Amino acid sequence: MSGEAIGIQGITKKFGDFVAVDDISLSIAQGEFFSLLGPSGCGKTTTLRMLAGFEAPTSGRILLEGDPVEKVPPHQRNVNMVFQSYALFEHLDVEGNVAFGLKRKKVPKDEIRTRVAEALELVALSSRSGSRPNELSGGQRQRVALARALVNQPRVLLLDEPLGALDLKLRRQMQIELKAIQREVGITFVYVTHDQEEALSMSDRIAVMSDGKVAQCGPPEEVYEHPKEEFVAGFIGISNLLEGKVESGGRVRIGEDCLEVPDLGDGHTEGESVRIAVRPEKVAVDEIGSAAYRIEPDMFTVEGEIESKVYLGVGNQLTLKLGNGGRLVALEQATYRMRADEQWEVGQKVKVGWHPEHCMVLG
Amino acid sequence: MDHSLDPGESLTSKRFWDWFIFPGGIWIALLFAIPLFLVLALSFGHVDDFGRGVYGFSLDNYRDVFDATYIPVLVRSVAYALATVILCLLIGYPVAYFIARYGGRYRYALVAALVIPFFVNYLVRTYAWVALLADQGLVNNLLVDWGLTEAPIQMINTPFAVVGGLVYGYIIFMILPLYASIERMDPSVVEAGKDLYGSPFQTFIHVTLPATQAGILAGCVLVFLPTVGDFVSAQLLGGPDTYMVGNLIQDQFFAASNWPFGSALTVVMMLFLAVWMVFYLRRASKGEAEVL
Ligand SMILES: Nc1ncnc2c1ncn2[C@@H]1O[C@H](COP(=O)(O)OP(=O)(O)OP(=O)(O)O)[C@@H](O)[C@H]1O
Ligand SMILES: [Mg+2]
Repeated sequence: MSGEAIGIQGITKKFGDFVAVDDISLSIAQGEFFSLLGPSGCGKTTTLRMLAGFEAPTSGRILLEGDPVEKVPPHQRNVNMVFQSYALFEHLDVEGNVAFGLKRKKVPKDEIRTRVAEALELVALSSRSGSRPNELSGGQRQRVALARALVNQPRVLLLDEPLGALDLKLRRQMQIELKAIQREVGITFVYVTHDQEEALSMSDRIAVMSDGKVAQCGPPEEVYEHPKEEFVAGFIGISNLLEGKVESGGRVRIGEDCLEVPDLGDGHTEGESVRIAVRPEKVAVDEIGSAAYRIEPDMFTVEGEIESKVYLGVGNQLTLKLGNGGRLVALEQATYRMRADEQWEVGQKVKVGWHPEHCMVLG
Repeated sequence: MDHSLDPGESLTSKRFWDWFIFPGGIWIALLFAIPLFLVLALSFGHVDDFGRGVYGFSLDNYRDVFDATYIPVLVRSVAYALATVILCLLIGYPVAYFIARYGGRYRYALVAALVIPFFVNYLVRTYAWVALLADQGLVNNLLVDWGLTEAPIQMINTPFAVVGGLVYGYIIFMILPLYASIERMDPSVVEAGKDLYGSPFQTFIHVTLPATQAGILAGCVLVFLPTVGDFVSAQLLGGPDTYMVGNLIQDQFFAASNWPFGSALTVVMMLFLAVWMVFYLRRASKGEAEVL
């Protein structure tokens, strides 16, 4: 990765009085797989459409490889888009769809032919080049849309929930294919999705959006392990939220118990209330009375009671009622260490623990 | 117990509903098929000494239809109809496009505003055009008053007036199917055209027009069919030089009192239009198969 493919500098988009995108600034590197992730209506599509040129920002600048493009109409921007509805040209066959952009750019005929053939090979659709879009399955239509954009070798490819219309299994498969294709062609991808798993598994970096703003931007591990605010912690994965008060020496009091948080960070004054988030999969649960089995010595522990249990196949999701009245969800992965007779009962008293470094302090 | 699955019962009720085809069927047979058959039969007849149509079996009337005297009338009718179709398309497409894409919540009000004038009888609307285009009509009076011309311009009794009247009379049949197909078009397809380096004009030619071709075809056929047989516009706004086949047929039945020849003309016209109709239906059903 080198150089900046897209620079977004303080763009705002208003529809009348409604602010759809609110002063966003992002820098997307060349060759990066960059995702915009957020709930419905947070402004992902609007942001993408401003990059494509279908909407003009109310204010702010967009740089494409250093050049300002806010005033450049879509057909003169060297970016291409994969639409959520695919927007294939039904009156053209697959080949005609893929060749559309090259024809408009007046590329010589035989070059069009070879590039279209290459693009169709890339998406494994060579055998369907003569088919009409309506004769194709959803996954095939998706790949035509992808080939139609990629064949132009754009500087940046914009994808608006490209897998949203596919069923779960096909979606998983296409995620892997898309990622492989992106690595192969080395084009910058800006990928809009509201599926957090998709964003985590595919992206180099993720910008989590909420209400037209970027809540946090960083690599998947960072936004997952170190969410800066409650919204991010809650939107990406599930989080248990605990209310605490800062005490001296980087300690946080939760109820009667005191917890030593390693990376509490500076700027917290004594007595200040903070929220601590813990991922369910980081929470260990043990029977009371028996030898410690999952809970490790340096864990922070509290006592609780199993309130409900959901069997997930690969494990159990337990909802625990803590002694101090709070609730906690624990995701217990089934492992080879699991005893055959091991069964959790609702109402059973348990010991709950987690490593202090797995506490995420939210601002 | 589930009674609704009883096979006997559902069969009876199906038979029962089948009876409902009869009133409409009889109506069509009596008032549609029989007159048509009478016209067909009469077209092979001749006129007796008192000017009454007599059934017979001769092809004379058909030979007369393609007589050199009438060929210009047939050609003129088709030419006027084609000109009308083209003008309706050129005027109607931008109107339909604007309403469908930019009408927003006023879309239905705008469509209604277009349709309402067509509640007025076609004949009455064409008379209004006479008042507009006559030598002492509104347009000429204004032109003279404003000093744009010395004397009134001859507008009535010209082919332009006749085609203008036809366009005015039938344009709604172009706009409505165009509107329907433009509104149904996925707007992101147009954006895809622009995204793939198509200028607005190229995108219109290569994306929008093909995507709305079903509406274009329907509009053209719906305008062409009634226009080619129309007699009102030529009668009120035209003169001897704009005589159309509709006028010819009308004269056979009312003025010349040659019903057999009028019938033969009618049959030829119907066959001619049927060819167009079949062409349209085949295209339309193919288009439908493509949509599915
Ligand atoms: N043309 C428009 N006119 C008025 N409001 C609009 C327009 N386009 C988008 N909006 C509003 O802007 C907000 C953001 O829309 P946007 O389509 O960007 O959301 P999104 O994040 O893509 O959501 P989704 O996941 O549902 O696609 C929404 O509240 C939407 O109603
Ligand atoms: Mg969207």
